[in-house]
Amino acid sequence: MAGDIVLGYDGSDGSNAALRVAVAVAKAFDAPLTIVFGYEPNPMGGETADYKFQLEKIGNGHLAQAVQEAKAIDASVAVEPVVAPLRPVESLLEASLERQARVIVVGGSGERPIVGAILGSVPHKLLHRSTVPVLVVPAED
Amino acid sequence: MTTTTADSGELGAKQTSEAPGGKGLKTGALGLVSSLVIGVASTAPAYSLAATLGFVALVVGIQSPAVMLVAFVPMLFIAAAYYYLNRADPDCGTTFTWVTRAIGPKTGWIAGWAILVTDLVVMPNLASIAGVYSFSLFGAHGIAANSSGFWVTFVGVVWIIVMTAICFIGIELSARTQVALLGAEIVILFVFAVVALAKVYGGHVAHSVRPSFEWLNPFRIHPVGALSAGMLLAVFIYWGWDTAVTVNEEAKDARRTPGRAALMSTLVLLLIYVVVSVAAQSFHGAGFLANPNNYNDVLNALGTAVFGSPWNKLLIICVLTSASSSTQTTILPAARSSLSMAVHKAFPNRFADIHPKYLSPGFSTLMFGAVSVVWYVALTLISPNDVLKNSILALGFGIAFYYGLTGFACVFYYRRHIFKSVKNFIFIGLAPFIGAAILTVLFVIAVFYYSNPVNSSTGNQAWLPFIHFNFTFLHQHFYVKKGLGPPLVLGVGLLIIGIPLMLIWMVRHPDFFRRDREMAETVDSPAPPLTPGVTPVTD
Repeated sequence: MAGDIVLGYDGSDGSNAALRVAVAVAKAFDAPLTIVFGYEPNPMGGETADYKFQLEKIGNGHLAQAVQEAKAIDASVAVEPVVAPLRPVESLLEASLERQARVIVVGGSGERPIVGAILGSVPHKLLHRSTVPVLVVPAED
Repeated sequence: MTTTTADSGELGAKQTSEAPGGKGLKTGALGLVSSLVIGVASTAPAYSLAATLGFVALVVGIQSPAVMLVAFVPMLFIAAAYYYLNRADPDCGTTFTWVTRAIGPKTGWIAGWAILVTDLVVMPNLASIAGVYSFSLFGAHGIAANSSGFWVTFVGVVWIIVMTAICFIGIELSARTQVALLGAEIVILFVFAVVALAKVYGGHVAHSVRPSFEWLNPFRIHPVGALSAGMLLAVFIYWGWDTAVTVNEEAKDARRTPGRAALMSTLVLLLIYVVVSVAAQSFHGAGFLANPNNYNDVLNALGTAVFGSPWNKLLIICVLTSASSSTQTTILPAARSSLSMAVHKAFPNRFADIHPKYLSPGFSTLMFGAVSVVWYVALTLISPNDVLKNSILALGFGIAFYYGLTGFACVFYYRRHIFKSVKNFIFIGLAPFIGAAILTVLFVIAVFYYSNPVNSSTGNQAWLPFIHFNFTFLHQHFYVKKGLGPPLVLGVGLLIIGIPLMLIWMVRHPDFFRRDREMAETVDSPAPPLTPGVTPVTD
């Protein structure tokens, strides 16, 4: 399963825009689409089991929606959802390595630059760390 | 290909490893250093010392170092319970779920409640310390001296709001920053101790006392009520250390890392507490620490004398960073506990909400922050001048209660395996049991001790003035004429409020309480999902 298109998806507007582009890219390359939801609780608080359970539930919900939407856009693209217990950026990097991804697609976070700098921005970190091309899709208005 | 599985409907299942499609992706792994940092930073040594040292000296005089030493014993034993409950059953969560599983849902509910109220009780203390030290940092000692004045309370409230926001949005320091901050904290505390002792031996300090081995002898503490009150205070300074053990379900080397991290953080903490308490009391004597002018902010009072200006600011900054990590490691677990209870249908549903964008336990976090602010302000109004004292003295009750329950839960849960080997007997039987028994005894004795308002050091301020009693226990004569000591009312009162609340919840939402007790199948393998046969979490 080499040459996947890897998409980061969290249900936000940006990630929905990215989904539409990712399906088109997957179609163009005739490549499978891997949709990733990454989460990791702050280890500082200890005791994370039930919290992870809830996060996973949300992740599965988002991914089910994403898969449905991808199928609605183009049923011929093979889609695989992945919930990963890793921070979003790490989960995308890990998935891109494992699937030998052609490209990582993410939504533009739409954060203002300073907010992004403080809270951390997934596209920003990916651009610095990814070994494969990163495609950032802005949210539609 | 659409492999998104539906909710399994079971908690405590090995969720992470069975994440749909999660195969192949490695999970986040914590190394020895990270585990150590998490354990020690959660314990927050500088803040703990700033908050308790004066009161420990007040209760036990020059035997404070002895109390630091002895209080460590039950904590070590309870840590064994945490380690084994967590290791054999890594994904089952909190003390709340462990106790529910081992002892039963009613006790489990009360254990969860105890965690929440204990976290709540410490918040006014954290906020006041933050307020007091913030003003000291900028030299506003007049404002800092009034720890329940308007300005300190105002900064304290802002502190709680900011920390709640940080937890809500999910801002985390990088691992490297955490190591640096914690490293600085430990180095500064040791430098403080070394400089203080050097000055004492140099012989230029007024009222200084050379350290004596007698300070480490707990048998010199009389009466027994003072010993247990001192120990309850000291139990608080080790509180949080267990996180080093519980976060390790995902350690890189899960077999060895948690044990070693726990052992190392133990030694670090024990050393800091004994060395700093010895140095602090040798500098100006125990009387200086216990002096009402100083006990609210001993490290600040001593820092000026030991380091001189501006180096004393280092100590103040280190108390502030320590208090900040301690506040976060109070809010995060509190929110996760109420989330956990809500997920198990033992608490209103909304507490299980996850914020869609920040992915934090949104409602739980905000509620805890809001209740903390209300509680802090109310406590400041009810007992001006004694917020720090009352909250810190009351804390030990909650901690002893739920740590004790965890110890008993471990013994009970593994009861079939205790006698299978010597190792089992010591680590999952004897140690947790003794730890829990010590904490129980401390709890009971402290109840009697603090029933007398005189012992809560708040002058003779008494709460609930309609309470009268008169009896003798352990050769101590207890005669309460009008009311109880505030620490007892706060510490035990909040725990007791949980009982009617639980009963109300039981009547209205009986599902959670239909669970059966469970026992461990084996010591090392993962346990089955919590309560098979009952599906408590399906929506």
